[in-house]
Amino acid sequence: MFQTVVGVDIGNSTTEASLATIGPDGSVEYVGAALTRTTGIKGTVKNVDGVAKSVMWALEGAGMALADLDLILLNEATPVISGLAMETITETIITESTMIGHDPRTPGGRGLGVGTIVDFESLAESDTQTPIIVLVPRGTDFDVTATAINDAVESGVDVTGAILCNDDAVLVANRLNVKIPIIDEVSRIDLVPVGMVAAVEVAGPGQSIRTLSNAYGLATIFGLDPDQTKVVSPVARALTGNRSAVVVRTPSGDVEDRTIPAGSLELLGETKKARVDVSRGAAEIMAEVQRVSPLVDVMGEAGTNTGGMIANVRQSMADLSKHALADVRIGDLLAIDTAVPQEVRGGMAGEVALENAVALAAMVRTKESGMKAVAEAVATHLRAAGATKVDVAVGGVEAEMAVLGALTTPGTDKPLVVLDLGGGSTDAAVIETDGGTKATHLAGAGDLVTKLIDAELGLDNLELAEEIKRCPLGKAESFFHIRLENGTVQFFEKPLPPTAFARVVALGETGMNPIPTRHSLDRIRTVRRTAKERVFVVNALRALRSIAPGGDLRQIGFVVLLGGCALDFEIPELIADAVAPFGIVCGTGNVRGTEGPRNAVASGLVASYAASHVPSEPQVGAHA
Amino acid sequence: MTVSTSAVDGQRTLSFSEVGPAERGKRPDEVVIAISPAFGSLFSQTIVDIPHAEVIRQMLAGIEEQEVSARIIRVQHSADLALMAHTAAKLSGSGIGIGILARGTAMIHQRDLPRLSSLELFPQCPLLTLETYRSIGSNAAQYAKGESPEPVPTLNDQMARPRWQAKAALLHLKETELVRKGAKTVEVTPQFSAAAV
Repeated sequence: MFQTVVGVDIGNSTTEASLATIGPDGSVEYVGAALTRTTGIKGTVKNVDGVAKSVMWALEGAGMALADLDLILLNEATPVISGLAMETITETIITESTMIGHDPRTPGGRGLGVGTIVDFESLAESDTQTPIIVLVPRGTDFDVTATAINDAVESGVDVTGAILCNDDAVLVANRLNVKIPIIDEVSRIDLVPVGMVAAVEVAGPGQSIRTLSNAYGLATIFGLDPDQTKVVSPVARALTGNRSAVVVRTPSGDVEDRTIPAGSLELLGETKKARVDVSRGAAEIMAEVQRVSPLVDVMGEAGTNTGGMIANVRQSMADLSKHALADVRIGDLLAIDTAVPQEVRGGMAGEVALENAVALAAMVRTKESGMKAVAEAVATHLRAAGATKVDVAVGGVEAEMAVLGALTTPGTDKPLVVLDLGGGSTDAAVIETDGGTKATHLAGAGDLVTKLIDAELGLDNLELAEEIKRCPLGKAESFFHIRLENGTVQFFEKPLPPTAFARVVALGETGMNPIPTRHSLDRIRTVRRTAKERVFVVNALRALRSIAPGGDLRQIGFVVLLGGCALDFEIPELIADAVAPFGIVCGTGNVRGTEGPRNAVASGLVASYAASHVPSEPQVGAHA
Repeated sequence: MTVSTSAVDGQRTLSFSEVGPAERGKRPDEVVIAISPAFGSLFSQTIVDIPHAEVIRQMLAGIEEQEVSARIIRVQHSADLALMAHTAAKLSGSGIGIGILARGTAMIHQRDLPRLSSLELFPQCPLLTLETYRSIGSNAAQYAKGESPEPVPTLNDQMARPRWQAKAALLHLKETELVRKGAKTVEVTPQFSAAAV
């Protein structure tokens, strides 16, 4: 007797169905598949609408009626949810206004000027003996500035540099008879101390300053002793790479490169315990996580940023899973070092410094999901809709089903590892040669990548960050061509939209999305790729290590990538590169040879059912 | 010729002298500004009494600060902003042009765009300040260099239209009276005078 069976995988974002007929000898013939959005939160009765829709679409596609349907198999959802947090752990503070380290787009003049800072009004009456640097307040016209400086120079004043508030440096420099370095766009110019000795340096286009970014250069200019040189060395470091800078020597000025007391994490393992300071960075946190694994819970030090961060994650996950706060236990943690642009405190020109930050992704094991309730609701709903003989059952655990589904990918064999790259968590499952399976769930996946891109580019726009994550980039060089990130050029018949002109664009499926920042294409690309590497490559290796037979990656023959992120244009290749040295075959899955990385769990459900209920020859991929 | 309308003492005045027919530029680092028939001639200030001398000076300053060169042309056969700006863009070596009407309305254009499109449009002339004109020059120059500047921030006032429409219409009428059919577009150079400090 032929049975008509649908496997349904309810995921966080999509619900997938796989329709098959199972022959009396256990032969499985897949006849349809469907994909729709998940309705409601995974594991709740609200899923019914999505399930019903996907089942009906699958039937429709195969030309079958609801009445023909015998059985629906649901997955037992992976019992994990995940949360994210990010906290900066360093900050740069300029005390007592010692430096203006910002990089105006268009400084004027060239060279290095050292002198005493003098107000613009008192420029004419300045002493002709000592070299001076003139400070020009907001609203002074460039012609006025230039004339005044020219007059002063003519009357014998030694003007060696200028600091402007307006964006006028090139204009003033073009009108001067002597060439002096000029810095502009110093927005809080009233904070610059008059009467102090200062140095202004401007480098040529494409160059960076040499003297002020060198601690000994500063020592030479200001006549510092070894102790004072030690104090100013952070100033020199902060100015590295700038095209222009001002350093003012004040009696007690200082730049602090401070490490915020970020607090510590307490990692509780099954047998071991560890306490690690978050400010020591991701590498040490991850080393400790590895050492104490398997992790049972994580605590943050109360009253610190870390404490707040962990509390937030815990609270949001408690809300999501409807568990009591005390029941939420963090089962895995992924820490990632990142650098976030932040405005420098005490700066005078809106300087921005890249501050170190740590991003944390945490995963929580939830109690068993409500799939039984969902199954009953689905049965009621579909029987009412006309599927008179339908039965609904919970068919198997998601990870194991994914392995079975993945085995239908042509060219795979046991032992096989499935890496499911989702939004919130990276799940891995292994099927060994003897058919035994093992699964692991790790924190950190697509959402964390989006968050890293958002923070590192300073976008403050998660939608845009998502777009950058998913699409290759191009730069619109004219209205008729864009240069793609691999250096090639694409031409267009019709002009591009004016909003895309001269901008870096994300080449989405629906068209081009201009990215409204000043970041270059290369910078955005680097941020995107490193974010993916730091999350997916790290997690792939972590996952493989934890489930590989004997912890030895060489024992794994095949890795199949599944999940939404396996459709990404570069993540599979990044992971494949990382595991290639271990002799592992790695690639994006192609479930049943037709479905790509989709539908693995749904197909696995059907295969598992067919194998277990018909005691005849097992089919390909039905070795449960 | 410019008649000084200065209320303030020592205000700059502006006059343009013709240097010949406007030709297509060859320098890739230039922005061309197209002025309308009445700009700096019949009128010497915008709809909100900003002197044309300062408007042009700030625009040129914005371009110069970006280390890009500028040329000015006068369109004589039309007072249509899109046509003016597009003409400027087509004559510009970089393909970037700015158009500005006597009442102050301005536009940044690119030669490959359809005429009625624009890179940036500043339609509400009563709300434009000298800082805006500086930024317009600066942005046009950055487009010419192939950079991607943030669009110039502008104000939007729902009341601008009812409040200023009558005056704008009058100014436009006066401006179109100066339009001479078939007259060639000419290149001009600005002369600022009485730049008292």
